[in-house]
Amino acid sequence: MTPGNRIRFFLRKPHNVILAMLVVTLTFLTLFPLLSLARDTLIVHPSEIMSVKGAKIGELTLFHWKKVFFDGDTSRNLFYSPLWNTIRVSLWSCIIAIVLGGSVAWLVTRSDLRWKPFVSTVFIFPYIMPSWTLAMAWLNFFRNRLIGGAPGLFTALSGIETANWFAYGEFPIVVVLGLHYAPFAYILIGGILRNMDSNLEEAAVILKAGRLKILSRITLPIVMPAVLSTFLLVFSSCMSAFAVPAFLGTPVRFQVLTTQLYRTLNGLNPGYGYIMALVMIAIGTGILMLNQWIIGKRKSFTTVTGKSSNISLAKLKGLRNPVSVMLVSFVCLIAILPLLTFAVESFIMAPGDYSLGNLTTQFWVGQGSEDIGGGEPGILLNKYIYLGLWNSVRLSVVVALVAGTVGSLAGYAVVKARGTRLATLVNNLAFFPYLMPSMAFAAIYLSMFAKPTLFIPSLYGSFALLVLVGAVKYLPFASRAGMNAMLQLSNEIEEAGLIIGIPWWKRMTRIIFPIQKSSFLSGYLLPFISCMRELALFVLLIVPANRVLTTMLFQYNEKGWNQYANAINLLIVLIVLIFNTVINKATGASIDKGIGG
Amino acid sequence: MKKLIAVSLMIAAITASAFAMGGKEAAAAAPEPAMTQEQLVAAAKAEGKVVVYSITSRISSAATEFEKLYGIKVEASNLKDGELIEKVTKEVGGGIQGADFVICQDSGRVYGQLIATGYLVNYVPPSMKSIIPAEFQNPLTFQLINKVFIFNSERGTAPVIKNVWELTEPRWKGLVQFKDPKAEGVNANFLTMITSPEWSAKLDKAYQELYGKKLVLSTKNAGYEWIKRFFQNGLVLGNSDTTISENIGIKGQPQTTMGLFVYSKKRFDAKKNLALEPMTEVAPFAGFIYPAFLMLTKNAAHPAAAKLFVEYLLTAEGFKPWSKDVGSYSSNPSIAVNDDDQPVSFWKPRLVPENPQYLFENRAAVEEFVNNITY
Repeated sequence: MTPGNRIRFFLRKPHNVILAMLVVTLTFLTLFPLLSLARDTLIVHPSEIMSVKGAKIGELTLFHWKKVFFDGDTSRNLFYSPLWNTIRVSLWSCIIAIVLGGSVAWLVTRSDLRWKPFVSTVFIFPYIMPSWTLAMAWLNFFRNRLIGGAPGLFTALSGIETANWFAYGEFPIVVVLGLHYAPFAYILIGGILRNMDSNLEEAAVILKAGRLKILSRITLPIVMPAVLSTFLLVFSSCMSAFAVPAFLGTPVRFQVLTTQLYRTLNGLNPGYGYIMALVMIAIGTGILMLNQWIIGKRKSFTTVTGKSSNISLAKLKGLRNPVSVMLVSFVCLIAILPLLTFAVESFIMAPGDYSLGNLTTQFWVGQGSEDIGGGEPGILLNKYIYLGLWNSVRLSVVVALVAGTVGSLAGYAVVKARGTRLATLVNNLAFFPYLMPSMAFAAIYLSMFAKPTLFIPSLYGSFALLVLVGAVKYLPFASRAGMNAMLQLSNEIEEAGLIIGIPWWKRMTRIIFPIQKSSFLSGYLLPFISCMRELALFVLLIVPANRVLTTMLFQYNEKGWNQYANAINLLIVLIVLIFNTVINKATGASIDKGIGG
Repeated sequence: MKKLIAVSLMIAAITASAFAMGGKEAAAAAPEPAMTQEQLVAAAKAEGKVVVYSITSRISSAATEFEKLYGIKVEASNLKDGELIEKVTKEVGGGIQGADFVICQDSGRVYGQLIATGYLVNYVPPSMKSIIPAEFQNPLTFQLINKVFIFNSERGTAPVIKNVWELTEPRWKGLVQFKDPKAEGVNANFLTMITSPEWSAKLDKAYQELYGKKLVLSTKNAGYEWIKRFFQNGLVLGNSDTTISENIGIKGQPQTTMGLFVYSKKRFDAKKNLALEPMTEVAPFAGFIYPAFLMLTKNAAHPAAAKLFVEYLLTAEGFKPWSKDVGSYSSNPSIAVNDDDQPVSFWKPRLVPENPQYLFENRAAVEEFVNNITY
C-alpha cells in the first residue's frame, strides 16, 4: 500500500478520525499548558516588580525557584511545611474515607443490613454536595470564642467551649475530607464487592472456614488492589482540596499547598504559586503511574470477572438492628443535619444568638442595609445572586454537553481501536486532567490564556475560558463513562448496522447511544454536578461579570457575611440534589456509574 | 512518516508559541476634547451601562441611587484589594474590557502596577477641580479610611491601653485580633510603614516612655521588633474586618478583647448588638489611615458613564452611603464628616499614613518577615 492509500484507509474508520482529532486538541489543552506554566515560574510578573529588585516585567529570573526551595525559613514556611501538612492531611483523610466507605460498602452489598436503599442513597449525599458543605456545618456547630467570636450551635446548646484544635485546623480538615470522600470509596469498593464472584467464599464456607478467616484470607485479598487504587485516587483528591482547608485552616494559620497556591497567586509573588502548581502536578502524575502499575498487577491474580448470580449475604444476627439503626442515624448526621444548620444560620441576625427573638428574614428577602452586610439585599432579592445562579447553571450545562459528548466519542474511539498506541495515548491524555489539582489546573489556564496564544485571543474573563477549563477538567469522568458503556456493548451490534450500510452518524445516534443510554448519560451528569459545586477550579479565573454561585459564596464567607453564605450554600446544595435526583429518576444515569473526583 | 511529521510540527508549534507570547499593547487612547456637562450626560445615557470594581461594598447602595438618577445600569463588584489589582492588570493588560472605573486601595501596588503601567487613567471632573485639594487630585482620591484600635466596651468605655507596646505583654495574649496582612494589602502596608526610620524611632521612644529602659533589639529596628512581639503574643488573624468586629464587639465575653480594624464597622453596633469603642490616645499611633483612589481604566468601554459616576461619587449625595456612618472621609472637603466622628485633621497626627514610595521599596521584605514569624 502506498502511504497515501494507508492514510486514506486509516481515515475511513470514524474512530481513527476521532482519535487523531483528540490527540491534537488534548495535547494542546493539557500538555502545552504545562510548558506555559514552566515558563511562568521563570519570569517576573507584574506584581513582582516590588520584590524582585530592579527587574523588569517579563524578564527571566530564578528568583522564585530559589525562594521556594532554597531559602531557609522562607522556603520552610512557604513550601515545605504546607507540603508536609498536605501529605499528612491527605493520608489521614484517606484512611477515614476508606475505612468508613469500605465498611458501609460491605454492609450494603454483603450483609443483611436493613434499609439499604435509604443508606445507599443518602450516604453519597456528602459527595454530591459541595465539599465545603460539611466544613461550614462544622463551623456552624463548633465555632469557638477563641477565634470565631460568636460561639457555634454546639456551645450555645451545651455550654461547653470547644477546644481550638477541635474547632479549627488539621483535625476538622481530616474529618471533613474523610467524610466527604467516604462515599467515593464506597462507590469504588462497593462496585468491586458487588461484582465479585462469591464462589470462592462459598467454597470456603463448604470447607468450614470461619467468617473472620474468609474475610481476611479471601475477601480482603480480592478487594485489596481496588482498595489501593481507591486509596490513591482519594489521596490525590484530598491533596487538591481547596475549600475545606481554606474554611477550617485559616483561623489557626494552618496552610496546605492549595491554600498557599491561592494566596501566592493572588498576592505579590504569583511565581511561587506556579512552582507549587508544578509540584502538585508532579505528585499527581506519580500517583497515576503508581495506580496504573497496581491495576496492571491486579489482572494477574484475581479471578473476578463477570457477575455472580447469587451473593450470599452475611447474617448480622443480633447486631442487625443496632448496626442498622446506628448507620441510619450516622448517615442522617452527616447528610441531613448540615442542611438544617445552614437554614438556621441564615435566619439569625446577631451572630451566636439562637433565641427566637433574634430570627430574621433579612438575609433572604430583606432590603439592603449598610449597617448589616455592606448594603446588599437578601439573596432572593439580589440581582447578582440571580446573575450568579444563571451563570452557574449555564456554565454547568454547557460544560456537561461539551465534556459528555467529547467523552462519549473518546470512549467509543478508544474502545474501538483498543490496543493501538494511538488509543492508549488518547486514553492517557483524556485522563491526565484528573491528576491535576483543580487549583493548579486553573493556574495553568490562567497563565496560558491571560494573553493571546497562537491564534486564540486573550480569553481572560470570558465565559469561554470557564467552559474550556471545566470541560477539560471533567473530561476524565465522561470518557470513563463512555468507555464503560462501550466495553459492555458487543461489537456485532454495530457491525450489523455497518453491513447493511447505515452511515456512522446514524449508527451512533440510533443504535449505540440508545442501547447504552444510561451509561452515556452518566458521563453528562457527572460533569454537570461537579461543575455546579466547583470552587477551586473557578476561583482564580472568575471575573465579576461571570461570577458563579460558588465563588460568590466564597466571597461572602471571606467577608464574614455568614448568613448570606449559609443561605447561598443551602441554595446550591438543594439545586444539586434536585438535579441529581431528577436526572437519576428520569434516565437511570447516576454518578456511581463513572469515577468521581 | 505521517506521525513523525505531526509530532515535529506539534513540537515546533509548542516551542514557538510558548516563548514568543509577547502581548501586543493596545494603542493609548488619544486625549479627548472636553465635553460640556450636558454632552457628558447625553453620552453616558447613550452608553447605558457602567461597570465598577470597588474595594468598598457600599458601592452597591450608591449604584442603586445612581441608576435611579440617570437610568444608567450599574454593574458593581466588591473585590479584595489585591484581587482588584490582579484583575485590572490582567484585563487591561490582556486588552479585555472589564471595569470602566475602579475604587482601589493599596497605594504602593497601585502606583507600581496600575498607574506606572498606564492601566489606570486619572480623571478629575471639571466641576471638582476647584473643590478638591490639589494633594488629592493626582491620583484622584475618593476617600480616606482609617483602621484604629477598638475594644469591647461592655465593661466600660475608658481606653484600655495607652501605648502600643502594652499589646506585647502577656496580659493581652490571645485577646487581640487583626486582619491577615496577606488577605489585605493595606494591612501589610501599615506594618511596612512602621518599619520606616520615622516610625521605628517613634516606637523606640514609646518603649522607653512606657518601661523607662532601652529597647533591646532582636531584629532590624523597633518597627520590626514591635511587629514580631505583637504577632507572637497570640495575635488572632482574621479574614475579614466584619468578622473581627463581631468577634470583638459581641457581648458577654469573659475577657475584654480588642482589635485593629476599620473604624466604620462601628456602624454595626446597633443592629448586631455589639459594644465597640475606639481609642484615640495611644502612643505612638492609634491605628493607620490610607487612601482609596477613584480612577478610570485605560480601555473603559463606557467612559462617559464612568466619568459621570465618578463625579456623582464626589458629591455629598453620592457619598451618602459612606458619610452616614463614621470612618469614611471624602476627599471633597465640603462633605462634612459624620456627627459622631472627628475630621481628618484630628486623625492624621494620631495614625500611620501610607508613603507609596517607601511601600513600593520595602513591602516585599516586610511581608516575607511577617510570613516567617506567622506561619
